[in-house]
Amino acid sequence: MSNHSSLSSVLADVNTANGLPNEHYVDPVVFDEEKRSVLFANWSGVGFGKDIPEAGDAKPVDFLGMPILLVRDREGAIRVFQNTCRHRGMILVSKPQKIRGAIRCPYHSWCYGLDGALRTTPHVGGLGRSTHDDIDMEKLGLFRIRSHVWRDVIFVNIEGNAPEFEDAHGNLLERWKEFEQPIHHGGESSSFKLEVATNWKLAVENYCESYHLPWVHPGLNSYSRLEDHYNIEERGLYSGQGTSVYRQLKDEDGKTLPDFRGLGDKWDEGAEYLAVYPNVLLGVQRDHSFAIVLEPQDCANTVEHIELYYAKSEKDTPELDGLRGANAQLWKTVFEEDVFVVEGMQKGRHGELFDGGRFSPVMDGPTHNFHHWVATQIVNGRNA
Amino acid sequence: MDRVALDLALLKAHERQDTAELVRLYTIAGDKAEEKRDIDAACFFLTHAFVFALEIGAPEAKLLNERLAARGRAKLLEF
Repeated sequence: MSNHSSLSSVLADVNTANGLPNEHYVDPVVFDEEKRSVLFANWSGVGFGKDIPEAGDAKPVDFLGMPILLVRDREGAIRVFQNTCRHRGMILVSKPQKIRGAIRCPYHSWCYGLDGALRTTPHVGGLGRSTHDDIDMEKLGLFRIRSHVWRDVIFVNIEGNAPEFEDAHGNLLERWKEFEQPIHHGGESSSFKLEVATNWKLAVENYCESYHLPWVHPGLNSYSRLEDHYNIEERGLYSGQGTSVYRQLKDEDGKTLPDFRGLGDKWDEGAEYLAVYPNVLLGVQRDHSFAIVLEPQDCANTVEHIELYYAKSEKDTPELDGLRGANAQLWKTVFEEDVFVVEGMQKGRHGELFDGGRFSPVMDGPTHNFHHWVATQIVNGRNA
Repeated sequence: MDRVALDLALLKAHERQDTAELVRLYTIAGDKAEEKRDIDAACFFLTHAFVFALEIGAPEAKLLNERLAARGRAKLLEF
């Protein structure tokens, strides 16, 4: 891989480091390298549990060309498989659906259980004969993909060699352990997606830092000033920002959304926004949280899937529909304000004289932390 | 239901993707073939009935699987 730029300047200290070189944003060859070394080698977000709420629900996902099937089994657990029949490689499930009994391949009708086990191979031994000595059904179940669900995000490790999720993200799990409690999706208005003409990493980079807030989100700045924010940087793990002046949304009657149970004083006016490397962005506040899964489509296009969650369910608190809707609209406005920035940086990355940029040693630590992590994954991949 | 009517009903059920009806009709086809002691044909039709029953989680799947397994034509499954 000697044709790639050296990443040594990215791995330097933030005071002297450069950002990742342009090719990491505009070159399809490097995009493919990152797909394997960064996204497939680590725990990437591919969906949400709320999209397969009931036993038997199945949802196909195309993650960077990799066909994945998310299913909820009869016991309520989420399982993830490669969405490819073990017979002729046919795609098994092409649209979200309820699996009532078995997953039947639409080609030759090989059938699989929700646990991935191969249940039948019709006519495999000739017409009317569904067994053959050389077809060992025990060995031909669906390929299972390592998965872990946290904060309703379905994470997968496609390559299969990452440390266990709890080990890889132990520091973060500890940091937010107070939020380890049931969360309830806010319903239709709490779900939206943005299709953005940018490389997926630029969405992470912009999310990580608070430096841009007063310039890009002047409305947010009126109640959440730059000096009220702090950087969060854990080398090799995650980064983001926190605020000490989170204010709850109130309706005309002064009503607020209910808090998550048992939170410490820190969260009375505190909130944190973290990038869970590589492609998941999370936020926690006393009365709601959100999760964003970045779906990289190619070098220059990303879909941001955004979901908001609350302490009480939509069903139990219909009187709060208005507040939930207003809260979703508030966040949607903030995220939409970021679109011109991440699209602008993508265009700027075609500037052939750009050297990856220099960071503010004070303000850009979280972004540098992300670049350092990405560069480390790429170097690891090149050395493997 | 004669053979022609059964074929026609099967085609219509396939067209409508009426899986429960496919289970019913393929079972009839299998039963008829079995009555004529055409075991290969019977197992062919019963295999189709079984697959569609398995797909939709129909209770008939268990019995159909047992019939096929008894003929040595399928692996006996646990339900």
